[in-house]
Amino acid sequence: MNSFHFAWRSLFRQPVRAALAIAGVAAIGALLFDMLLLSQGMLISFRDLLDDGGFDIRILATPSTPISGPRMADAAATAAAVEALPEVDAVVPMRIGQARIVGPDSVNLSLIGAVTSRRDAWTVVEGVDLDDLIGNDDPPMVINRNIAEELTLAPGGTVTIRSECTERYSVLPTVDFVVSGIAEFPFDPVTQMTAAVAMPDFDRACGSVMDEADVFLVATRAGEYPEMAVAAIQRLRPDLHAYSNDQLVDRFQQVGFSYFRQISTVLATITLFFAFLLISVLLTVSVNQRFAEIAALRALGFSRRRIAGDLLWESILMVGTGGLLALPLGLVLAIWLDRILKAMPGIPSDLHFFVLYPAAVILHVALLAAAGALAAAYPVFLASKLPMASTLRNEVVG
Amino acid sequence: MSAAVIEATGLTKTFPMPAGPVTALRNVSFSVSPDEYVAVSGPSGCGKSTLLHLLGSVDTATSGTLLFDGRDISTLPDAERSRIRLTQIGFVFQRFYLLPMLTAWENVELPQGEAGVSKPERRARTAELLDYVGLSQRAQHRPSQLSGGEMQRVAIARALANSPRLLLADEPTGELDQSTGEQIAELLDRVHADGNAIVVVTHDPAIAARAKRQLKMRDGEIVAGAPA
Repeated sequence: MNSFHFAWRSLFRQPVRAALAIAGVAAIGALLFDMLLLSQGMLISFRDLLDDGGFDIRILATPSTPISGPRMADAAATAAAVEALPEVDAVVPMRIGQARIVGPDSVNLSLIGAVTSRRDAWTVVEGVDLDDLIGNDDPPMVINRNIAEELTLAPGGTVTIRSECTERYSVLPTVDFVVSGIAEFPFDPVTQMTAAVAMPDFDRACGSVMDEADVFLVATRAGEYPEMAVAAIQRLRPDLHAYSNDQLVDRFQQVGFSYFRQISTVLATITLFFAFLLISVLLTVSVNQRFAEIAALRALGFSRRRIAGDLLWESILMVGTGGLLALPLGLVLAIWLDRILKAMPGIPSDLHFFVLYPAAVILHVALLAAAGALAAAYPVFLASKLPMASTLRNEVVG
Repeated sequence: MSAAVIEATGLTKTFPMPAGPVTALRNVSFSVSPDEYVAVSGPSGCGKSTLLHLLGSVDTATSGTLLFDGRDISTLPDAERSRIRLTQIGFVFQRFYLLPMLTAWENVELPQGEAGVSKPERRARTAELLDYVGLSQRAQHRPSQLSGGEMQRVAIARALANSPRLLLADEPTGELDQSTGEQIAELLDRVHADGNAIVVVTHDPAIAARAKRQLKMRDGEIVAGAPA
């Protein structure tokens, strides 16, 4: 009977105790796994969100986030100049403002104005896009699903909006739009009301032609590196701030997401410590209960290495089984926690806090294995250094 | 007399205690030849078990030498002493110490596996030993399903598993009633008759009387029976 088989039999000699121990490791392992998913989840999800939009560079007036900072003037000329760069395929100037749908069911919404001739920053899921609606007197608008459901709107319906996109006029005239389609906007929070119109219509809603943009969305030409395009844009317009998706992720990692990383690192460390304590206590108690048995095995000629091997395997089995169970348990827990966290206001619905990535599974296994090995060290030391004679004598006397 | 399987010379064992060192064994010298059956008896605390532990290389003497097959085993590294215990010395304990999660068969097979005996040989030897101690029908029973006497018989089979040159038994009937104790004593007689050297530590005069040689101990010394 080898060490593995022996350890298996030793561990499951008391099935209920073994099951409880494994359940404990599984519960702690699930928490550890979730902390690992949380530590990188938002970054991975944010990166996916940026990439899925089809644009790999954002140009802003300042290092601050769009809307919060000043706008860029001469938007059309700037867009044309940037688009003329050999590294760049398309540029979409974008304005973001606030508006209100006028009517019996008044709805506040985010209004996006974009130059849409080359690419869109949204995905039409029902109806047609802005450029595809032909022969209508009113300008087209795409709305998100929340507005469609709130106002029972479908493609072909009309809305009247009053823009609040400038401080220049206290009250702007209303503008009628026809709904060309229902679209998904990648950064929309769950309850967000969003609509998009063509840039000339946005200017019209805002009461004047401003030729400004909050952000330029830039798509790099195929085969070009975004970082090279960023450098070219910076050379062309050093007064503007261009960021590739990688740079944006790095920036948000340092600023926006550092709290989550810190929290997840602290919690993962604490969880790992609890795993170490649990395994260590379980194995130490188990060894203490088996002192006489271990002393007898040593007296029968079992080497210290063999005894240590038996206990190490016992630890591996406990941690391994618990760690494996921790993966599905952790995933279920992550889905549940993700739903709770995503209910926070302002969180894009496609952004996830917990994201499964292969390195998390590898790290989870490595950390639990290290905790198991460290936790086994003391009981292994106890068992291998056990004084045989006095232990056997005390057992008989005791 | 043939060459001694084990030979102790001037064995002394002192235990450090908070109140001062306690000498459990004083200058004990004796030897056991391959065909001998030796009983060690004496009052509690006289050093019987300490002597047995030293003979079995489970403990080391404070001073003195212990030769096993002419080799001083007290100076050997732990791994080598473990190997000698595994292959040359069989141990029978008062409390049996069978592994509760293993069957009688597995308990007897376990030391053979550790010694590297092949599977077919282990099977044959285990079957032979369980038959020898009269427990072939109980091979798949766990210790909790066996009586005290049956457990001790399995323990004896386990002690004989690797065909040791010396069998050491520490109060082998201490946990058994008189009738069962006699059955164990008879089994030990048979083991001896089949050519094994035995040293048994016992309180029971009836068990001691079965041995060819009886050593009596008092206060850590052999007071009767040790050869010159």
